[in-house]
Amino acid sequence: MNTKHRIELIIERMAYKRACRIFEAEGAMGYTVLPAMAGFGNGNRWQRDTDISGSRDMVVIISINDQGTAEKVLDKLRTLLDEHIGVVSVSTVEVLRPERF
Amino acid sequence: MDAALSTLLSPIILFFLLGMVAALLRSQMTVPEAFAKGLAIYLMMAIGLKGGVEMSKNALTFDIIAIFIAGIALSFVIPAIAFYLLRASTKLDTTDAAAAAAHYGSISIVTFVAATEAVRLSGFESSGHLVALAALMETPAIITALLLVQRQNGAQAVAGAERGELVREVLLNASVVVLVGALIIGWIVGEDGNAKIAPFFVSPFQGVLCLFLLDMGLSAGRGLRQGWRQLDAGTIAFGLYMPLISALLATLTCAILNVGTGDAALFITLAASASYIAVPAAMRLALPKARPSVYLTLSLGITFPFNVTLGIPIYTFLASLVT
Repeated sequence: MNTKHRIELIIERMAYKRACRIFEAEGAMGYTVLPAMAGFGNGNRWQRDTDISGSRDMVVIISINDQGTAEKVLDKLRTLLDEHIGVVSVSTVEVLRPERF
Repeated sequence: MDAALSTLLSPIILFFLLGMVAALLRSQMTVPEAFAKGLAIYLMMAIGLKGGVEMSKNALTFDIIAIFIAGIALSFVIPAIAFYLLRASTKLDTTDAAAAAAHYGSISIVTFVAATEAVRLSGFESSGHLVALAALMETPAIITALLLVQRQNGAQAVAGAERGELVREVLLNASVVVLVGALIIGWIVGEDGNAKIAPFFVSPFQGVLCLFLLDMGLSAGRGLRQGWRQLDAGTIAFGLYMPLISALLATLTCAILNVGTGDAALFITLAASASYIAVPAAMRLALPKARPSVYLTLSLGITFPFNVTLGIPIYTFLASLVT
């Protein structure tokens, strides 16, 4: 088994393409975007289908990378999250096929 | 008075109120998201086609061009008025005030659709050109809001690389593409072409509008329930008086221009309505530090219910005074 870094970014839907561009530009081999249903943060509840513009929807982006790539991605994500609503976390995970990350 | 009462007691308004009350009472009732989006596309197509067909019958006159120019000018000016009113009467900062102001310069297509039905029920005729104006009035307010932030904060609101993304979101969002596309198709096919699709787009229109407004009522109620704590009394009052200020400006414009009562009512409604589809999305890209809990609660939770229930009868009455 090999250790890699799993970045989990929860970010407002309207900004997720900006986040995806960061993952791609910084050399991430892949990522997956998932819709989020509902949540609570900064004193506000939010729910996926509250408004028709979808501008309050959130998504989750998961990407597994080596340490160097993860650090470069996180550095850029910090700037993005200065502007946009979101939370990022990193954890170490074991992977079966290290050459894919 | 009878016309106002019949608008208030029409099925579309009653279904809207049902949705709103259900959401405020925390009912679990929901309209599936994909279905609601399908309903929105259907309504944009239907209203675009209707406008296009009407346009094919009525030539573009100087009066219509004048009202187009007036509408675009109002869309630029209203956010500036809204911004300074918000800054003077509430505790909102520059960014929140500019984002909220942008919503009031832009338009709500659902309010416009509801007004179209109310105008028809009141026995007034509309020319169809106002549908094109609705599409034209979506964008200018966003430009004014960004200029206001730039002027107040001294920094460029949107960086160069992100400007293309914002322009695409504003000019090519689903509602603009479907509305303008259907308008052009309706104009090309005219009355004869429209007759072939009328069983789908004309007859069921009112029923589909009821379903959609039920969902909009749920959205407005949920938005209000979740976001009202973010608004102080001054901000809530703004959500009620700002559409009336915009309506008065539009009424004065109609008094100067040569407009029919139906078109005037729709024009006033467009000016008084506040966006909750195109502008919130654009604001998340252009002014991400603005709080959606403020501007969406204002436009969707306060101004939209006001316009759909009380506003439209007031605007129709104002139109009848000056035409």
